[in-house]
Amino acid sequence: MTKKYLVGVFDDEHTLVEAFEKVLDKGVKVEEVYTPYPIHEVLHRMKKKTRITHAAFFYGLFAAIGLLGFMYYAAVIDWPLNFGGKPFNTFPSFIVVSIVATILSITLLTLFTFSARAKVFPGKKADIIDIRATDDKFIIVLDKDELGTETNTVTELFKTNGASEVYEKESK
Amino acid sequence: MASMYKTEIRGKLISGDKSLGQISQDILRPIDAKTPRWWYAAMTMSLALFGWGLYCKYITVSQGIGTWGVNNTVAWGWEIVNFVWWIGIGHAGTAFSIFLLILRQKWRTAINRAAEAMTVVAVLCASLFPLLHMGRPWLFFFIFPYPNTRGPLWVNFNSPLFWDFVAISAYMLISASFWYFGMVPDFATIRDTTKSKIKKAIYGFFAFGWVGSSKEWLRYEGLSFVLGGIAAVLVVSVHSIVSTDFAVSVEPGWHTTIFPPYFVVGAIFSGFAMVLTLVTLMRKLYKMEDFITDSHVDAVCRILVFISLIMGTAYITEIFMAWYSGSEYEMYTFFKNRITGEYALQFWGMFTFNAIIPQLFWFKKVRSKLWVVFIISLLINWGMWFERFNIVVTSLSRDYLPANWAEYHPTWVEIGFFTGTIGMFAAGVLLFFRYIPMIAISEIKSVSKYDKPMPEPKIEHHD
Repeated sequence: MTKKYLVGVFDDEHTLVEAFEKVLDKGVKVEEVYTPYPIHEVLHRMKKKTRITHAAFFYGLFAAIGLLGFMYYAAVIDWPLNFGGKPFNTFPSFIVVSIVATILSITLLTLFTFSARAKVFPGKKADIIDIRATDDKFIIVLDKDELGTETNTVTELFKTNGASEVYEKESK
Repeated sequence: MASMYKTEIRGKLISGDKSLGQISQDILRPIDAKTPRWWYAAMTMSLALFGWGLYCKYITVSQGIGTWGVNNTVAWGWEIVNFVWWIGIGHAGTAFSIFLLILRQKWRTAINRAAEAMTVVAVLCASLFPLLHMGRPWLFFFIFPYPNTRGPLWVNFNSPLFWDFVAISAYMLISASFWYFGMVPDFATIRDTTKSKIKKAIYGFFAFGWVGSSKEWLRYEGLSFVLGGIAAVLVVSVHSIVSTDFAVSVEPGWHTTIFPPYFVVGAIFSGFAMVLTLVTLMRKLYKMEDFITDSHVDAVCRILVFISLIMGTAYITEIFMAWYSGSEYEMYTFFKNRITGEYALQFWGMFTFNAIIPQLFWFKKVRSKLWVVFIISLLINWGMWFERFNIVVTSLSRDYLPANWAEYHPTWVEIGFFTGTIGMFAAGVLLFFRYIPMIAISEIKSVSKYDKPMPEPKIEHHD
């Protein structure tokens, strides 16, 4: 099903952020904002949260426990070997491998989480609203059906706040 | 926190007062332009060296490591020297991306992509040496701790060589993924700006469907935060672990507690020097003066002069400790074998190139002459190679038992193997120059605003 969008195009970060905040202050829901680089004011006020850092913490925790457990199993339970009379459970030297392999596990698992949650993966077709958003334009996209009668006021608001273009577009 | 502190010390991050569109165009120009002639010449030379290296590897594998100059006494020769050298160079990527990110150095944005690319290729070069030194590289998977039918016989988790294996493979995977995910938004920029249909398809595939939505950027920032935070540990851990390959043994000159910090600093030193070599070339060959400005080169030189002082201190500390310990073996290794002995040339080469010559960077005149900077950066790379040779060969060739003393000279196979990795590195860097945006476009755009007059700050909130 295709949806109708109202698209506001801005030339720089500053005007985008001003218009974006004014639209939000009016109580209008912003569908999405596309920018060439991350803008913290936008990320902050889009009210979306990411728990990727929490996920990373737990990946690390389980990886560390798993690795230490595995080394204990291999070196103490399964096949104890006597290295010059040292104890089988040489915990301090297990730490080295645990740290490095934990970092590796966190990195890979967090990458996969990012890929799955942000939907950025090999073979994905980009749903591009405005092709210039990865180059030099800052784009605000609003759902036209939700806007209803407010369309004209928002269009006006975009224009008075420095939008270089405002147009409507149908997309999935 | 909406804005950063702005200082006037650094000068402009990007000169030429560019619009965002111009930034993309300028950085992507080498990808869209016709391949220059010098590129083909350089690529041919690199591939020739690489091919020669392949032949030497073939000799090594088919006839065994008896074709090398190593012997029972000096069991580690050029292979470990070159391994440590390449790994050291590979430290620049994480040092640039992570340390300077944590220190909020905005100027790193022009250089970090090149540093990361270099890291990936350098670590690949490094990993070839221990792989072939195993003698039977096709059995290298024996080093994985996997359930096997030989017992199961597990690997020795107390061995620094196993730690090293884990550290290097983790480092390679992590730097490669860090580098790749940094490039995803830039690949999307190529996809959306190029006129060529083939490029659109290829870069579009590698862009993974990136569109720059707030949803993507939010998680992207979260990801950078996590990776940046944990990879900072790697900058310190990888070369500390490499140093334990030496420090855990009981050879004179190796068995010291100074080794981990000494190796880490040395790695960052050689990494930064190689970055300097590369960015001076990049700036000259691709006319990137607007992005890699004089103040960028200046900043790297200043870091190098600081690290060079630490290196000098480490060298002198080692010598002092050899004397202060009162151990005649340590004294012999340092005073007879290194400073005045058979390998004195390598010792003094190391000392001059790493501790003395970089002191020239104290002078603004030296820092501002690009060709002088380029030559000094090459000398530092050379000096760091001497350092590893000095550590490895002088300690091994004459240890506690004079009956075991032996000399070491590399054979043509070893030399060919090494020059082969130089060809591989050069070819990798040339491919990077040609096909990948050599400066992180989205990052450089995000700092471009610091060069423009800032709008009046809002003083509503503090966080």
